[in-house]
Amino acid sequence: MAEKVTPDDIYGEHRANMEKVLDRLVGKAMELRERTREEQGLDPVEHILARIKSDQSMREKLARKGLPITTEAALTQVNDALGVRIVCAFLNDVYAMRDHLASDPGVEVVEERDYILHAKPNGYRSYHMILHTEEGYYAEVQLRTISMDTWAALEHHLQYKKERVGNQNLIVRELKRCADELASTDVSMQTLRDAILGVD
Amino acid sequence: MGARLLLAEDTRDLNRALTTVLEHEGHQVVSVYDGEEALDRIHEGGFDGIILDIMMPKKDGLEVLRELRAAGVFTPVLLLTAKAEVDDRVVGLDAGADDYLTKPFAMKELLARVRSMARRREEYAVEQLSFGDISLNAETFELSASNAVRLSVKEFELMQVLIKNAGRDLTSSYLLGQVWHGENEADKDTLQLYVSYLRGKLKWVGSSVTVSSAGTGFKLMKGE
Repeated sequence: MAEKVTPDDIYGEHRANMEKVLDRLVGKAMELRERTREEQGLDPVEHILARIKSDQSMREKLARKGLPITTEAALTQVNDALGVRIVCAFLNDVYAMRDHLASDPGVEVVEERDYILHAKPNGYRSYHMILHTEEGYYAEVQLRTISMDTWAALEHHLQYKKERVGNQNLIVRELKRCADELASTDVSMQTLRDAILGVD
Repeated sequence: MGARLLLAEDTRDLNRALTTVLEHEGHQVVSVYDGEEALDRIHEGGFDGIILDIMMPKKDGLEVLRELRAAGVFTPVLLLTAKAEVDDRVVGLDAGADDYLTKPFAMKELLARVRSMARRREEYAVEQLSFGDISLNAETFELSASNAVRLSVKEFELMQVLIKNAGRDLTSSYLLGQVWHGENEADKDTLQLYVSYLRGKLKWVGSSVTVSSAGTGFKLMKGE
C-alpha cells in the first residue's frame, strides 16, 4: 500500500516562504503603528506576536480533526498555520488595525469574528480574522486590547490547569465578571482618550 | 442610616417640631413652607422621601404630588392631611402618594412611617430595569443588550435615573442632584463625561438605545 510520505517538517519546503509571509504581515501592522505614532504621537500597538504553528501542534490538530498528516492538509485544511496576535492600547486602535490589515491587496479576508462586540459566553473578547495570502497561506489574526490580553492569559491557565482547585463555577463566573469590568474600563479609557484629544 | 427628606408643611410650629424630631432620628431634613418651594427643591433632586402637607399656600400638596409624578419623580411620598375624610386619602393615593397620615398624629407613628418609606426606597433600588433592548441589573451593575459590561457606581446610578425617566427631557441640575447629591466636585463637565461613558458602553453592548442631548440636559431614547 502506497502511503504518502510525511516529511520530517510538516510544512516541508514551505517553511522558509511561510516565514517571509509572516514577516510581511507583521510589517503591514508596523506600517500603521509608525503612521499613527507620527500623526498622533501615540503608539496604537502594545506588542505583536507572530508564530508558525509548531510542527507538533499542527500534527495534533490534523489528527484531532481526522485529517491526513500531510503538508497539503496543514496548509489548506487548517487556517492557523500562520498566527499573528496584535495587542493594542485602545479599543479604537483594534478596529483601525483591522481596517488597515484588511486593506492589504496581498490578502483576502476569508472569515471575521467580532468577539469584542459579541463576547463569548465566558467573557472572552478579541477580534479574529482569517486571511488568505496571495502566496496561498492561511493566517489567523487576533486583535485585542491590553485588558483583553491580560484576561485571556489568565483564562488560558484555567483551561489547561490539570488539577482544578476551588469552586470552578465560582471561578468561571468571576472571570466573566472581570471580563465585563475590563471591557467597561476599555470603553471608559477610549472615552477619556477622545476627551483628551478633543475627538468627538 | 438616616434618609434625606423634604418636609413641606406651612404651619411654622409644626414644621419646626417635625424637623427637630426627624433630625434627632438621624435624618437630613430640608424644610419648606409652601408647594412651589417644595417643587423647586424636589426638582433639584436627591431626596429619599418627601413629606407633603395637603393644605399649603401657592400649591397644595396634591398639586405638588401630581406635578412631580408627571415629571417622572418617583421618590416615595407621605401625605399629611388634617381632614379625616376618606375622599381626600383616596385622591392622594390615586395621585401617586405611597402613604398618608391623618392629623393629629403621634410622632412615633410618623417616624415609623418614614422608616418604612426609607426601607421601600432601598427595595425599589434592587430590581432589574429594562428599556428598549437594554437591561440594567441593580445587584450586579451589569448593563446588557447583545453583549454585557459592568458599570461603575455613578454610571449605574445615572443609567438608572435615565431608564426610570426614559423618553423625558432631564435637566443637568436634576441629574446632578439625583446622582451626585450636590457633591462639590461634580459639575456639568462631570455629567457630560459620564454621559459619554454611557454612550460608549451602550454602543459596546450592542444596544440601539441612545442618550440624546435635550436642551441643557439629556434624554434616553430607543434607537431605530
